[in-house]
Amino acid sequence: MLKQRQFLIETLTAIGLIAAPFVLPHLGFAPNTVNRILVWGLFGLGFDILFGFTGLLSFGQSAFYGTGGFVAAYLLTRAGFSNVLGALIIGMIAAAVTGYLVGLIALRRTGIYFAMITVAIAQVFFFVEFNPLSDFTGGENGLPGVPTPSFNLGFTTVHFTNGWSLYQFIALCYFIGVIIALRIVRSPVGAILSAIRDNPLRATAVGHNIHGYKLTAFVIAAAYAGFAGGLLGVLQAFMPPDAFTFDTSGQLVMQTAIGGRSTLFGPLVGAAVWLFLQDFLQAALGLGAAWKLVLGVVFVLLVCFLRGGIIGGLADLYRLASGRRKRTEAEAEQEATDAAPTRQPAPASMQAKEVEHPAYSRPILKATGLTKRYGGLVANSDIDFSVNQGELRGIIGPNGAGKSTFFKMLTCEVAPTSGQIVFEGRDITGLKITEVCQLGLTKSYQVNQLFTGLTVRQNLTIAALAELRGKFRLDLFRKLSGIKGLAEQVEHTLALVNLTRRADTPVSELAYGEKRRLEIGLALATSPRLLLLDEPLAGMSPRERVETVKLLKLIARGRTMIIIDHDMDALFELVERITVLQEGRVLVSGTPEEIKTNAAVQEAYLGGVHGEIAA
Amino acid sequence: MTDNLIRRGLSRRSLLQTTAGLIGGSVLPAMPALAEDRPIGTYPAGVSGSTAFIGISVPRTGTYAVQGEDELKGYQLAIEHINSGHDLIKKISPKTSKGVLGKELKFGVADSAAKPNEAVQAQQRFISENKAIMITGGTSSAVAVALNKLAQREKVIFVCGISGSNDTTGKDCVRYGFRQNFFGQTAAAAIGPVMAKEFGKGKKAAYLTPDYTYGHTVTKSMQDFLATAGWTTVTNQVAPLGAPDYSSYLLNVANSGADVLINVNWGHDAVLSTQQAKQFGVLDKMKLVVPYQVPFIARETGGLMQGVYAATDYWWTLEDKFPLAKMFNEAFEKKYGYKPEWGAENAYVSFAHWARMCEQAGSFNPPDVIKAYEKGETIPSLVGDVHYRPEDHQCVRPVVIVKGKQQKDMKNKEDWYDVVEVVPGDGLMQKPDAFGCHLGDYS
Amino acid sequence: MISWPNLVSQLFNGLALGALLALISSGLTIIYGTLGVLNLAHGAMFMIGGYAGFVAYQYTESFVLAVIAGSLFVMLLGVLMERVIIRHFYHRPHEDQLLVTFGLGICFVELVRLIFSSQSQLVPPPAMFRGITNLGFMFYPTYRLAVVGIVAIALGALFIILYRTRLGMIVRAGIEDSVMVDSLGINVYRVFMVVFGIGAMAAGFAGIVNAPVVSLTPGIGDDILVQTFVVVVIGGVGSFPGAILGGLIAGEIISVTSMFNPGYAYVMLFAVMTLVLVVRPHGLLGVQGRE
Repeated sequence: MLKQRQFLIETLTAIGLIAAPFVLPHLGFAPNTVNRILVWGLFGLGFDILFGFTGLLSFGQSAFYGTGGFVAAYLLTRAGFSNVLGALIIGMIAAAVTGYLVGLIALRRTGIYFAMITVAIAQVFFFVEFNPLSDFTGGENGLPGVPTPSFNLGFTTVHFTNGWSLYQFIALCYFIGVIIALRIVRSPVGAILSAIRDNPLRATAVGHNIHGYKLTAFVIAAAYAGFAGGLLGVLQAFMPPDAFTFDTSGQLVMQTAIGGRSTLFGPLVGAAVWLFLQDFLQAALGLGAAWKLVLGVVFVLLVCFLRGGIIGGLADLYRLASGRRKRTEAEAEQEATDAAPTRQPAPASMQAKEVEHPAYSRPILKATGLTKRYGGLVANSDIDFSVNQGELRGIIGPNGAGKSTFFKMLTCEVAPTSGQIVFEGRDITGLKITEVCQLGLTKSYQVNQLFTGLTVRQNLTIAALAELRGKFRLDLFRKLSGIKGLAEQVEHTLALVNLTRRADTPVSELAYGEKRRLEIGLALATSPRLLLLDEPLAGMSPRERVETVKLLKLIARGRTMIIIDHDMDALFELVERITVLQEGRVLVSGTPEEIKTNAAVQEAYLGGVHGEIAA
Repeated sequence: MTDNLIRRGLSRRSLLQTTAGLIGGSVLPAMPALAEDRPIGTYPAGVSGSTAFIGISVPRTGTYAVQGEDELKGYQLAIEHINSGHDLIKKISPKTSKGVLGKELKFGVADSAAKPNEAVQAQQRFISENKAIMITGGTSSAVAVALNKLAQREKVIFVCGISGSNDTTGKDCVRYGFRQNFFGQTAAAAIGPVMAKEFGKGKKAAYLTPDYTYGHTVTKSMQDFLATAGWTTVTNQVAPLGAPDYSSYLLNVANSGADVLINVNWGHDAVLSTQQAKQFGVLDKMKLVVPYQVPFIARETGGLMQGVYAATDYWWTLEDKFPLAKMFNEAFEKKYGYKPEWGAENAYVSFAHWARMCEQAGSFNPPDVIKAYEKGETIPSLVGDVHYRPEDHQCVRPVVIVKGKQQKDMKNKEDWYDVVEVVPGDGLMQKPDAFGCHLGDYS
Repeated sequence: MISWPNLVSQLFNGLALGALLALISSGLTIIYGTLGVLNLAHGAMFMIGGYAGFVAYQYTESFVLAVIAGSLFVMLLGVLMERVIIRHFYHRPHEDQLLVTFGLGICFVELVRLIFSSQSQLVPPPAMFRGITNLGFMFYPTYRLAVVGIVAIALGALFIILYRTRLGMIVRAGIEDSVMVDSLGINVYRVFMVVFGIGAMAAGFAGIVNAPVVSLTPGIGDDILVQTFVVVVIGGVGSFPGAILGGLIAGEIISVTSMFNPGYAYVMLFAVMTLVLVVRPHGLLGVQGRE
């Protein structure tokens, strides 16, 4: 994650770019090589947002690089367009539009399928460029004669010709590219993109339209690629058909992985290493064609042993050197927290989302005839279920009674085979989980579904953003700090689940009990009016259970909750009514007292798992 | 900007001179001594020392690798001869003593893989890092055209290597580019009448065309010429450069009912497509013609060129007729151990011509050298006298028609062809503006 | 205007191409289906098969020995690759698996380029299959005809391995439900190793069998890799019958389009793939499951 110190990175980038022409020649970099590195770096900024930040590995970026490049080059060489910057921008827009259309198809699938589809689609572009469109693109010839930019400033005309002169123009483009990319990754959208990379399922469940955000990342990457492609033509006086080849996509992927993903500057570093080694190995060591083999081996070793690439490796080293002290501090802090768990006064419960119909007093949730079949297997059969506003309901049942499936249907994670679900008087059957969460109904998971690469605070931020911004919004340039109520909501949730002191700890370093609390916190941060908790106490030590029950009581104020758990004692203490499921059907509903004494329940548990009711 | 100027070797002194030159240039346009120092492209920075650098990009890998290596040998021999003041060079460029204008020639070689992108990258490096005073490259017209435009933008003279496209000195011509060798138009005009005479009028032709400027323009020229003899095109199979398999194309040809297969493919593509044409029975059904001869194709196809007509720039047996060709063959064979093909010949001659033009201009200053070419003087080549057209920078030179020998008639293992005819260049050329050439500026 | 003899010729040529694609793709698809790893070095395996066979042919002058040596070499290479590198990636994200196999593919290609240079190498077809066969409606190189038969036999052998052996049962079960296989108490990792070897061998075998048809260059596997992706996406990831169906469809699309304009052959191929993705996202014979 990039540090959020104001303008530090921007300033350093600017200094670096200004210093480069004075320093790099001494290191053996020719101006042309530096310009080329910047073009790759700019291309990579967008790709890193797609791959590094959103986790979508595309092997088809050449399609957009080529599209932007050829549109710009066509305008400048064939169409009599003379404004270089204008052509570059039109090329970028063309690439972005193409990216949108391709994204609609490619993002239908994820993971490996996505990678394969992007490869295939990029190949389509390659062949289309060579054949149907060869009148426009020159086919194998490419488009020679791309001019260099010049600007009429009124009193004088600045003409960027070649070498270090053209560098000034390209460096400026790169700098603007960096500023925009930084704004994007620091924006709410950027936070959500990281969430999608870490756990797309949960990002959906807390109420984000992840398809929309993925498409956004895809379009951003395409736009960067398009602009960089245009610059390539300007740099070379020639727009090469090679821009569309698979090699171009592959080189970008390798450079990004070598430099370090999700760093924004990784592709730049990777390109520098790549081009430097290319020159160095070929010229200085006389390795000839073997240079690419050396690079390939370096790349494989980096992927195997240094997942974060060069920048990631340096960051690890830095942390190793400076991190020891911090860790001991954190440990001491942790011990202190453990020693005095109830030191802080419990914070007041957070308000649930404003009820849309304040006069509404009928059941907040009503399910009728819910049935779910998996093939021949019936998980839930004809369940009628209703929960009143403000009620605290428990659900118990032996293993395999269909409790989790029932929850999944209520939150619209899976669609029922038949039956109807009404939430606050609105039929939500068949809606998507994201929409339901936006309506104010969410759940915490039986198995933790956290954003493991992020810190506790970032986790809660992502959940809170869904509630504050809705399921999709393109506030790409807004700062997180500029969102009204976000910080308060996150702080409040932190306090509520007692993780304030661990706010900036990465999730991977949390203890199990803390992770469970964060799991609940994620659901809470979306400010649901109806909260479903799937075994919140599972796997906890007795002391943690006591703590968590206290927490659950606290958050139950002002909201409706349904809790599944095996811990009968805890549940009997917490809830007002209990529904017992058995073999996918409702066995009985009643107050804890009624359930304890109900013969059928006794029978079910005695016949099932006797130990559980005694526990 | 200042930084850029300093890097180009513009000291304060030369800045003053430049200013003086600019003023002098406007007031006294006839003062070459002052105008000479005005920097343009890599001049004068590239020739400020005792050497002058040439950037060479040839395909050393990929489809045209074999031809590229041969071409490179021609360049190397020419540079060696120029630096040592060899007799052959002196025949072409009488003023040459050692080097060009007293500067020893150095050169760098890059593999273009016949890809314009690779070539442009390499030449940009040669221009910016080595201050190349002249660049060359080709063997693919796509490369030639791209380098044409680069040369014009960077103001560095480009002496084109093998390039058969009409566009190179046609619609994509530039002030800074020159071509010595024959091309689609002259090939078609030379071989067309021979084909009409040999195969008759009103025949049906099938084409195998590589999908880029060279293939498109050569096929077009052939079609246009053969149409005048009543020939028709039954199919034109356009394949990408470096296609691994020609089976689908050849099936289309086999079923087209053509009388003659005109194979415009080049390099390894020509070898592979010809071999596969044999495998699919195409060569048993129709006659093969290679309008733009491919160096080494006779050897590589293992005899499939027997009886096949081809147009070319040069064939070594012309040494019986042209003494300079004999000198060249001997020098080349002594150094490399085999008879030169036309790629090497073109490489050698084009460099020799450039050396001559620099000597005549008395300067490396690009506009002066260009103007020397544009005088259009009659100058020697290995196949008799030639001249460059000022309008499009194309060398007007003969085209050689050869026919593959039957194996039994071969006098030695390199005796692949009979020279059928040496067609003089003047009658073959299109009008200078026919292919839309606009040369552009000197500076 | 359709010329019927040409259509028949092209359909036949498409069958030949399709059979080859089917064989290579089935290697890719069983590796993916079983291990969950998409081997981006699969094209390199195809290429190495050709070169290994080429070397064996240089020494033995026997085409049969070249085919055997080429296939075995690639199988061993596959096993080695799985043991040394791939197995460390089973529990890493898909992206890392893609990156490492992609990098390995580049290493293989460049290593071959270093040893054999970029010049194309020729493997002559075996003596008994040289020459031209007159099929009545067309002339066809005898060896290409033989390739169809050889590939059909190889696919038959793969079918027997997958559907008639215990190993095949495990592999097919693994494709449908990897968790189940885990719980069967089978040493999955040994199975993985064998499957990776067999999958690589399928590509290597195709590589050497195809070598006399086209000349060998280090980059020969790159285009094939992309085409196998298309085949697998059309047929359905992880499905052996899907790979065969997809291969034949791809071969015929390329050939039939070539009849009208060879330049559009691949455009059409990818267009069909896109169509399949839109209509049947899991491929023609694919099952919902692995992603």
